[in-house]
Amino acid sequence: MIQYAAILLMMIGLYGLLTNRNVIKIIVSLNILEIGLNIFIISIGFVYDGIAPILTSTNNSSALIFVDPLPQALVLTAIVIGVGTTALGLAFVKNIYSKYNTLEIDEVEEV
Amino acid sequence: MMSAILLIAIPLLAAFLSILSKKVAPVLLLLVGAANIVLLMFIPSEIINIGGFALPFGINLFLDSYARIALYLVNGLFFIVTLLNVAEYKKLSSILLVALAALNGLLLTGDLFNLFVFLEIAGIAAYLITSTNRKPLSTFNYLVIGTVGSSLYLFGLMILYGMFGTLNLMDMIHEIQTAGVAYGALILPFFLMFIGLGIEAKLLPFNAWVKGILKHSNTLSGPMIASVYAAAISLMFGRLISNLFQFEGKLLTVVVVLLIAGVILGEAMAFASKKGREILLFSSISQACITVLLFVNGIIIWAVYLVIANALSKLVLYLVVNKAAKDLGSDDVDDLQGLFAKNILVGIAFTVAALSVLGLPLFVGFVVKLNYLTQLAVASQFVVIGLILVASIVEGIYFVKLLVKLWYPSEKTINVKFNLPYKAVFAVVTLLIVLFGTYSDPLDSLDNGIDTIQDQIGVIYNG
Repeated sequence: MIQYAAILLMMIGLYGLLTNRNVIKIIVSLNILEIGLNIFIISIGFVYDGIAPILTSTNNSSALIFVDPLPQALVLTAIVIGVGTTALGLAFVKNIYSKYNTLEIDEVEEV
Repeated sequence: MMSAILLIAIPLLAAFLSILSKKVAPVLLLLVGAANIVLLMFIPSEIINIGGFALPFGINLFLDSYARIALYLVNGLFFIVTLLNVAEYKKLSSILLVALAALNGLLLTGDLFNLFVFLEIAGIAAYLITSTNRKPLSTFNYLVIGTVGSSLYLFGLMILYGMFGTLNLMDMIHEIQTAGVAYGALILPFFLMFIGLGIEAKLLPFNAWVKGILKHSNTLSGPMIASVYAAAISLMFGRLISNLFQFEGKLLTVVVVLLIAGVILGEAMAFASKKGREILLFSSISQACITVLLFVNGIIIWAVYLVIANALSKLVLYLVVNKAAKDLGSDDVDDLQGLFAKNILVGIAFTVAALSVLGLPLFVGFVVKLNYLTQLAVASQFVVIGLILVASIVEGIYFVKLLVKLWYPSEKTINVKFNLPYKAVFAVVTLLIVLFGTYSDPLDSLDNGIDTIQDQIGVIYNG
């Protein structure tokens, strides 16, 4: 079920990317898309009734059901890359504003 | 013991060190660029399990003949482009070192998630390199489209992970071949990954970023994106198409139609254009689509040669046009009229490169074109051959028109000075294009067997 929610978030992000003409709103849409994707990745590792994949004094048997830890590690990397891209995107937004004095794509005569 | 991991680790380490001293950074960039090429000669072909974790548990790097050819090409072109531009773009030294590490990683990695990471790092470096165009909105568009592309790739990959429980390329291929999953279930993840990588590889209709970036490119960003990045992405993409995707049925039809549309529309747009860089960028789109089309049809070796021939030709074409555009302040074909009147050597290099892309005899482009058309004929792809030939005629018309314009002087004399390093690069590339165009035996000595992933899978899983 959570995967449908993740895909819905991705679709909302994609819709935002296609319809918005403001560069800040485009960055927000991009982040919504990435958050949806990250939730999707996490959901891949979900196991019903599974516990955190950490061996403790009480949870010390390999017979216990653990959730898959790999997607959690992957999503960390994906989040870091997403933050880097967002920061870089915002730096370009600052450049756009400095050069053209607007954040609206339609008011920029470049492309 | 030399290991392929050094090709990624050394540029990455140098990138960190280069931040400490701005004066040393450009020297470090050139040294590492040259060292990588030398190092490649001593690294044996092997699978490297990073951290000692055996396949499929750890990340592995895979160096075979295919990866070696790709690495020589990418590292060689990268060194040439940086050598010509390092004095002017000293500030970008650290970023260029990161780009080199990421491109080498793309070509070496045997892990599909690791490939996503390298794709993003290469992308971030590319956005920064293209920011030198001083067109921030175009760079912003590139960033947004590139990020969506890699997100789609990751989405497709995660669906595959959910199905097969592995991220390793060889293990994934083995699982797909043995698990007996219906091809229909693989269409969605494969198509998502294809679109994601197609965005980076400039395939129609996912290439909206290309025009904004290459139309305003300079002597660094133009050759770097159109030649170095294009070669690396095409060869990495080709590896996945030949081994992982193996398109069939309706998906094959959709992909072939998209690629053929890309070839035709790319040439038509180039024909309609009046600006030097626009003509080259649309031609690049068309050539990228032909390359992927060959990989889809399993013609690996001629696709690789096409990538090499195009990368060399595009290096010369973009360097000439970007240098002229920089000195004259315009890349309108009318403004460039008579460019070669006082630059005969440069004119010869440009003409040879353009005619090679076109596929005329005496140049390497002809040998490649003749062979891949023959292979397509063997595969009974006559419609594809016909459409490629039609596209070639259109290509011939606009390239000849461009050459005539650039060779014949107008009343207004234009003066563009190409310095010695530029002329040396042009001379070497021209010699290579003519040499392999007239003496093609070395090209015939290799075949599709350069890509050994399937053989390795056989050895690992079947003994």
